[in-house]
Amino acid sequence: MEETFGNYSVIGKPMPRVDARAKVTGEAKYAADIELPNMLWGQIKRSPYAHARILNIDTSKAERLPGVMAITTGKDFGGFRWGWSRETRDEEPFATTKVRYQYEGVAAVAAISEDIAEEACDLIEVEYEPLLGVFDPFEAMQEGAPLVHENRPGNICVEYHWAFGDVDKAFAESYLVREDIFQTPRMAKGYIETPAVIAYWPGPDRLVFQGAKGSPYFPYRILARCFNLPLSNVRVIQPFIGSDFGGTKNDMTHCDFAAPMLAKKTGRPVKLVYTQFDTLTTDLRRHPMWITIKTGVTKDGILKATYLKAVADGGAYTRMSPLTMFLVGTCMTLPYELPNFKYDAYNYFTNNPSSAAMRGHGLYHSRFAADVQLDMIAEELGLDPVDIRLRNAIENPKPGEVYETVNEVHVATCGVKECIEKVAEATNWEKRKKTKKAEGHKSYGIGFSAATYNGGTKLSAHNACAAIVRVCEDGSINYLTGASDVGQGSDTVCCAIAAEVLGVGLEDIDIKRVDSAFTPVDPGSYGSRVTVHAGQAAKNAAEDARRQLVEVAAQQFSVTPEEVEIKNRQVFVKSNPQRNMPWERLVRIACYETPGKVIIGRGYSTQGISLLGLADLSKGVGDIGTNYSFTAQAAEVEVDVETGVVKCTDNSVIAHDCGFPLNPPAVETQVQGGSYHQGVSAALYEEFKMDQGQTLNPNLIDYMRPRAYEAPMSKVLHVVTNDPYGPFGAKEASEGSCCSAPPAVINAIYDATGVWIKDLPAQPEKVFWALKAQKEKKQRKK
Amino acid sequence: MKDELKELKLTVNGRPYELKVKAKTLLVELLRNELKLTGTKVGCLDSACGACTVNIDGKAVRSCSVLALQANGRKVTTIEGVADGDKLHPIQEAMVEYGAIECGFCTPGMVMSAKALLDENPNPTREEVREAIQGNLCADEGYVKYIEAIEIAAEKMRGGR
Amino acid sequence: MIADFEYFAPKTVDEALSLLARYKGEAKIIAGGQSMLVVMKRGLLTTEYLIDIKGVAALDYIKYDEGKGLRIGALTIHRAIEKSPIIQKHFRVLSEMERNLATIQTRNWGTIGGNLCHGDPAGDPAPVLIALNAKLKLARRGGERIIEMEEFSKDYLEVALEPDEMLTEIQVPTLASHTGTAYEKLMVMKGDMGVVGAAVSITLSPKDGVCKDVRIALSNCASTPLRARKAEKKLIGKVLNDSLLIEAGEIASKEVSPPVDVHGSAEYRREMVKVFVRRAATKALQRAKAA
Repeated sequence: MEETFGNYSVIGKPMPRVDARAKVTGEAKYAADIELPNMLWGQIKRSPYAHARILNIDTSKAERLPGVMAITTGKDFGGFRWGWSRETRDEEPFATTKVRYQYEGVAAVAAISEDIAEEACDLIEVEYEPLLGVFDPFEAMQEGAPLVHENRPGNICVEYHWAFGDVDKAFAESYLVREDIFQTPRMAKGYIETPAVIAYWPGPDRLVFQGAKGSPYFPYRILARCFNLPLSNVRVIQPFIGSDFGGTKNDMTHCDFAAPMLAKKTGRPVKLVYTQFDTLTTDLRRHPMWITIKTGVTKDGILKATYLKAVADGGAYTRMSPLTMFLVGTCMTLPYELPNFKYDAYNYFTNNPSSAAMRGHGLYHSRFAADVQLDMIAEELGLDPVDIRLRNAIENPKPGEVYETVNEVHVATCGVKECIEKVAEATNWEKRKKTKKAEGHKSYGIGFSAATYNGGTKLSAHNACAAIVRVCEDGSINYLTGASDVGQGSDTVCCAIAAEVLGVGLEDIDIKRVDSAFTPVDPGSYGSRVTVHAGQAAKNAAEDARRQLVEVAAQQFSVTPEEVEIKNRQVFVKSNPQRNMPWERLVRIACYETPGKVIIGRGYSTQGISLLGLADLSKGVGDIGTNYSFTAQAAEVEVDVETGVVKCTDNSVIAHDCGFPLNPPAVETQVQGGSYHQGVSAALYEEFKMDQGQTLNPNLIDYMRPRAYEAPMSKVLHVVTNDPYGPFGAKEASEGSCCSAPPAVINAIYDATGVWIKDLPAQPEKVFWALKAQKEKKQRKK
Repeated sequence: MKDELKELKLTVNGRPYELKVKAKTLLVELLRNELKLTGTKVGCLDSACGACTVNIDGKAVRSCSVLALQANGRKVTTIEGVADGDKLHPIQEAMVEYGAIECGFCTPGMVMSAKALLDENPNPTREEVREAIQGNLCADEGYVKYIEAIEIAAEKMRGGR
Repeated sequence: MIADFEYFAPKTVDEALSLLARYKGEAKIIAGGQSMLVVMKRGLLTTEYLIDIKGVAALDYIKYDEGKGLRIGALTIHRAIEKSPIIQKHFRVLSEMERNLATIQTRNWGTIGGNLCHGDPAGDPAPVLIALNAKLKLARRGGERIIEMEEFSKDYLEVALEPDEMLTEIQVPTLASHTGTAYEKLMVMKGDMGVVGAAVSITLSPKDGVCKDVRIALSNCASTPLRARKAEKKLIGKVLNDSLLIEAGEIASKEVSPPVDVHGSAEYRREMVKVFVRRAATKALQRAKAA
């Protein structure tokens, strides 16, 4: 557990997170913990219908309730629309003409207490004309189906058709061709902290916004446009954030508009906190998808071609579905060599709450399908699951070389082979094949998988990621960042990078978190970009500050700057370490001796493989990431064959190539968590059950989230590949395990029972009927 | 009268309070809104997530599912009362040192459940540790390091490390 | 949000009963509140008057003597039942049942009386107490009555409590010799409400090992805890073996009218009744033989 990597002073070693102490003592303030003088409480009025025209909103009774200070409806926003990109601006702060999903917001109230705000909402009278709706892609695609958006015929939100190589020819030449259909469920992000915001106007044109947002950039830009303010007047101050996993806290939601509008109307701070019911019924969730995958292989199990068709339920608004559908396809050509690839994607509007990004975004769906199908293929060919993966795995490119896929994804480092080998060894793979276990009504099986995930996502030209390192006159150091640590530990690694570069300790870096009045603003925690980009920005900023100090040191020592070294807070001449001075002394000299410098280092992120172009989402060509992590996983399950209950055992190993583990324990925690909470949970536990747009399990008892008793004590093995495009060789960490866990678990269930569960989650009843059908089939054969 | 304020006398983190509260006030509301102890979190409406866990007379309890008035005459400990001034409790230390904490939202509840466990049972089995935090949902961390940290803390508290 | 109510915190049983008599019909009792507060927070339950009996210390006890059997005060918390050495020794099944009831936090505050009066057919204590042939003491100002545990549940979330009555004690008779009891429920995660559950008590005749008495009570299979009487009839008077227990499970599965929800269809629950009646009965039989 106490492994260290590389030959560094700070990074590559276990380090306590810079925010851990604040969190473990309860001092850390999250959005809902913030209280301001004169504060009002907000509450949202929501539609009971999944699809309805709004005929009239009467707020008069609510306005008369004592204690109500202001009410806002969609009309207040003057037709403002927003979306994830300019082309997809189809959503309003509050619905004005019609509602498109159940509990969509139509108004909000600010009052002197939570109770009065809630009562006021009940007094708002809304007249609706219910409309027929569509509740899954298959209804949505029907001829003459009701339209979710009148200007979007056929309810098509996103449609892609990509073709690389010649799949038909490849299929014709294949020894074996298989086609299978898989299904992934509608899944909650799962954060325990619900969206919350507090907003106020210190001046008529100055807005302060403090919300549980993983990406402060969205409110910063969108609210500026919404309220017609220069960016410099929108002050976004990040509190601590209780995780995000890619959406709603990443993107805008009703409370983010309501709080500023109500604060504007009342002249007082307004605070709005969602309940877990709000979250489970309306917050963005993972797309449910229906995936058809057809793969052709040679007799030796070498992949020749894959055709992938993905049909997705995008819900009521576009959000980031264009990106989702791109991600489903883009990395199909990783982690195994795939010379021919065809992809058809269809994302539909439905009258369900919107689907959007979630940890493992996009890739999780197709990797699940592909890696389970790979086991099916292995079985048909009589090949071992580990063996077939090794035969197809992409080799780690030699230093200076880059592997290019048929869809022009560029990979400089790929440790998947080493990952697979390490996991196979750790689980005694060869031996376990001979020891199939069953104990009474419990059957055991082990499954294997491999996956990739893109990191350092760059979505458009402006993905500004910058940092400032300020050295105070007494030698203390500030690191100003625009990046948001939503729990993944980015604050810590960025501070560690700065400390490494400057030659000081982690404890010497004081982080100044996002406050857009003073810090750079960064796009946010999504696409596993923070360590790669913010880390690089921190590195560059620290190097800039270091250069300025080293110049002064060089003068002091009468040497060239190249001869100066700073390590462990000591500044010395490399060739003669006797000539040295402590860090504080150098800083004091720099600042106080005429002419006196102000040491501020600035840096921004520049790296990326395809700097000249960005991925073309509709053609499926190019890099969306800067680099790609690789994962291999083995999971053992225990299946109660009488009930269908599946449980992971502690025999769980994950090998992860994140390039270079800057903070090894943090990588482990992230990988363990990604595997269990987003991966295993998708395979075994979680699914929103919907009926005509209504969520049937909108609470944490009926919507099952994974818990401690059932948690496998997964072992994480590090594979180091030192990627040239990440700070100190780092790539993303752990979204890969969100993608590797589901196929590993499903393959394990097959190993234990001989049954393939192709639609997730493998909840007990589903497994039970599958086992029963298998038993009856066997009996019929006799 | 329905919204009449009722007297409440309790000790929170060693400090005695004499308050007047509405009967329907939940203990978590009292702690967060009245006493400004925001370390205890609200994560759900269904007594499911455990983010609101505190200790009442040494026992782990969900403060969202206890009327404040029911804590009358009792000793309540919240996350703010666990450390000894600047000195972290061994459970807190272990969680920090071993990287168990991610977003931190479930952490106060985890600490309170762990503390109640170790105060009563200084030598728990792994199964008992899992049971102790079964009522504390985390979304990030996978529980692995929480379990390990609690075991390490237990050993330390027994005089091990 | 919870709606306001007028609040009383009686310290004695008499005080509580007087309040009930005064406000009967308009008052609700809260004990640990672990079920009640969830419902109130969802806005599904409002009340003019709330009588908080959590502070009635006199109803927090666990007593046992071989003559009278086990007596549990209605305000005993689940955790106390789980940990009680007396119960672990003489009525182990109760401790085992409590160990899987929700999570520790709930068990530290919720009371057995509160659980029983909530009347959820998915609840664990009721079927176990039915299998143990338990009785309940209900008190009102001026009197009390004893009712069979089996008679207590009327319908989904409805129990046989008059508006001015309060549950004060759970009485479990001493187990006959050569009796074994077990409770098994289908959980995905430890602490879940059972998708279905089966509590079985088997008493064997010491002479010939024939099943002298059997009680099978099921949770989450109907709108109340359900006794599978037909299944019981199959086993009485016979020397029990695996195939008989399997048959009992099959018969029980036809006696139930299970709910349909996100955790399982009626069909699946029926199948699971087969499994869990068999499992609980197998364990009960083993214990009866060992007793």
